[in-house]
Amino acid sequence: MEFQQVVGIRRSIRYFEPDKPVEQEKIQKILEACRVASCAVNAHWLKAVVVRRDDIAPADLEKMKNPVQANVIALAPVHIYFYGDPGVVNQIKGSRLKQLHDVGALNPTHGWSHKFVDEVVYPQILKPLTDNPFYPVALAFDCGVAACQGVLMAFDQGLGACLTAFVPEVVAKYTKVPGNWIPFYQLNVGYPAESREAGGQRPRPPFEEQYFLNQYGSSFPRDPKVVKELEASGLFTTPARPDNAERRKEIRDLARRLNLPM
Amino acid sequence: MALDKPLTDYDTVKTWDQGLRRQWGGDPLAEEPDMLESLREFCEFVAEDPDAIASKLFRIRKSDGERVLSVKWRTHYADKVKEFRARSGGGPEGQRKGSAVLSFMIHNGVLIQA
Repeated sequence: MEFQQVVGIRRSIRYFEPDKPVEQEKIQKILEACRVASCAVNAHWLKAVVVRRDDIAPADLEKMKNPVQANVIALAPVHIYFYGDPGVVNQIKGSRLKQLHDVGALNPTHGWSHKFVDEVVYPQILKPLTDNPFYPVALAFDCGVAACQGVLMAFDQGLGACLTAFVPEVVAKYTKVPGNWIPFYQLNVGYPAESREAGGQRPRPPFEEQYFLNQYGSSFPRDPKVVKELEASGLFTTPARPDNAERRKEIRDLARRLNLPM
Repeated sequence: MALDKPLTDYDTVKTWDQGLRRQWGGDPLAEEPDMLESLREFCEFVAEDPDAIASKLFRIRKSDGERVLSVKWRTHYADKVKEFRARSGGGPEGQRKGSAVLSFMIHNGVLIQA
């Protein structure tokens, strides 16, 4: 699928075919997409543990549910638990930056050298950063960037996906992750039981309220011609609309088929 | 426990009915009478009427007088729904009956999945 079409067709899918297995290679592709994401200082804080729902004991699955994600995690055949590993910076001590230097990504043209990494970047910037109370926020941003690529890959593979919270204490029984890893979100993956449009592209705040040119308060000018181009390319698809009888019928049929409340 | 009036006379059942009509159009409780029957069975199971169930799911917060969801009672009724499903034979039939009860709670403003 073309990139803009993938972005355009992504939805938070909440209805999955519960018994249709997801191929291992498709899960791998999701993880591979996460791995090649942009990441500050090439640290790659994001870690993921894949668990198939049917490998979770029913009693534990019950304990993993909360009032807003219970149906999603029960329907999705694959759970990918995303964590951030805050220890990675002090494990690699700048070595991945030096790798970037060696392959010509970080160059002397921009001030980079092995000596700079060893004597300045790691000891004076990165190591102190790990003690900063905002460190988890910084790494969470990068983990989000990586997870987003995985989400898009899921849709590129014809799958559906939805990020939800998870109950780390219960999930840890399966994932057995180190105690210092920060639990973020669970990516629920499976074949969508919803139609591809899933009711249409979700409403979003106005562009002008979100993005600015030069300074806050000065909205970035939105060129209608560009919007038209993006409609043609598939980044914009059918907008979801209220009181959509077709969507209501789809959900009612799904509720019946999957025994969900209506 | 026998209900002291027809199920559809309870305020919370009227609210459910209105919510279903607004959400799905038509007259869902008439089109799918099993839903009312499931709620009736659940009321017998917990020995409470629908209004009593719904009223327990909310409480008045002492600090500001706001009406808020009671986590304690939501957990209680979520567990009761699970028991009710199992008691109804589990499987799709139990799921369907449990989902009818959840629908009643949802349309009365209770955020619940179980």
